[in-house]
Amino acid sequence: MIVTEQKKFEEVLDSLEGHNKIFIVGCGSCATAWHTGGETEVKEMAARLEDQGKQITGWVVVDEPCDERKSKKELSRTYRQQVADSDALLVMSCGAGVQTVALSGVNKPVYPALNSLYLARVERLSKSDERCILCGDCVLAWTGGICPVTICPKGLLNGPCGGSQDGRCEVDATKECAWVAIYERLQALGQEEKLLVYRSPKNYSKMIHPRRVEKKAAVPA
Amino acid sequence: MTFQERLESGKFVVTTEFPPPKGTDISRMQQIATAVAGWVDAANVTDNQRAVVRLSPLGAAHILQGWGIEPIMQMTCRDRNRLAIQSDLLSAAALGITNVLAMTGDYITMGDHPTAKAVFDLDSVQLVSIIHGLNGGHDLVGNALDGAPNFFIGVVANPGVNPVALQVLKLKKKIQAGARFIQTQAIYDVPTFKEFMSMLDPDVKVIAGVIPLRSVRMATFMNENVPGIKVPPSLMARMESAAKPQDEGISIAVELLQQLREVCAGVHVMAIGMERYVPTILEMAGFSRR
Repeated sequence: MIVTEQKKFEEVLDSLEGHNKIFIVGCGSCATAWHTGGETEVKEMAARLEDQGKQITGWVVVDEPCDERKSKKELSRTYRQQVADSDALLVMSCGAGVQTVALSGVNKPVYPALNSLYLARVERLSKSDERCILCGDCVLAWTGGICPVTICPKGLLNGPCGGSQDGRCEVDATKECAWVAIYERLQALGQEEKLLVYRSPKNYSKMIHPRRVEKKAAVPA
Repeated sequence: MTFQERLESGKFVVTTEFPPPKGTDISRMQQIATAVAGWVDAANVTDNQRAVVRLSPLGAAHILQGWGIEPIMQMTCRDRNRLAIQSDLLSAAALGITNVLAMTGDYITMGDHPTAKAVFDLDSVQLVSIIHGLNGGHDLVGNALDGAPNFFIGVVANPGVNPVALQVLKLKKKIQAGARFIQTQAIYDVPTFKEFMSMLDPDVKVIAGVIPLRSVRMATFMNENVPGIKVPPSLMARMESAAKPQDEGISIAVELLQQLREVCAGVHVMAIGMERYVPTILEMAGFSRR
């Protein structure tokens, strides 16, 4: 899941300065599950903006606003008039959703209500942690399913640094050392020998931004 | 006899450490060099240690050579990517620097530029492998070098870190990648260090770190903040009851040096803020001038 946080309301208000009629777009996927941009939060935002004298022309929670087809369908068909009546759109999703809405042909200024934080494991409603930096070259096969590229601040591939102590990280003692976790996991799995293999320097060309993929058309079986 | 020749011929080696200045004034470095000249086989120059900006290890190593002290150039993965590391190494070799100590490096937020972008393009095992490759006449991607270095490659180990088996595992990878000597974090508990040694191949050249204690405060600070440093309660008690803690710290260092002499290939004296006492400490421990 992509974990987001709500921007301070004052920052949202600042960005909407000069725009009185607002259409709000929520996210039915990650931001709904993490309670930053689902229906409840969209309605709360609408009420707060109305308190500040803004007029809400309408709102919608798009299943996945980052999917251009879904955003286009809602914004240029179902909610066409409400969007047309607005001065600006406020999007309560991650940055991918905000940009997809902005590029979906709305021809209005589009503003973010959230900050995008990380790709996460969610343990419960109030607790998540970063688990993947989308490096493009997954190492989890030989690390017991625990990612050192993400969880070790130094991204070490051949074992822990000398700053690891009692399973804690030198950078932040409240955090686990990725390599101690990997070591214990591989021991439990009987795959300790994987720790002895030399791992070459990482191919960072896989992380040159912006990345894009065009899959070949799916061939029916 | 060079540091490498001494170590490889089985003679006990003594090294020390120079923090390069923060600035261009090298006079204090020169005072320390004058004091330790003849007492040590080589001296480490640190690489922006604790992530604090200082004169570079390449510059400091070259300066030390000019004063007749053989340098061990420390090189971390924190501030340079694979291109910068290789070009600095080639520069070092062309300047006649032969000893390199490859390490990961403290994280950037520990230092005086905590908002900087940390590099860590490589880890210490990969760095050893790259240096080994340069020695073999090619760069990381296999392109031939016009003139190859002949580095004596060292690495670090932290025997006090738990779980120690994982540290040993990584150390073995470093040795397989081409490391020829090891310098350790400060040792205060010789029996624990012996256990660590017993996990290694007996041929591995281990140089044990010794940091003379200056005060109870310093010992407490290191116990609480430096991973792997454990000043045991018995030594803490001696420091606490000493009339002159610094003298007691020197006595403890002397005892450690005498014990370590029996178990490993050399000692590395890191006399933080007490560099001028290095010859005294070595003499008290029974070492003589070269």
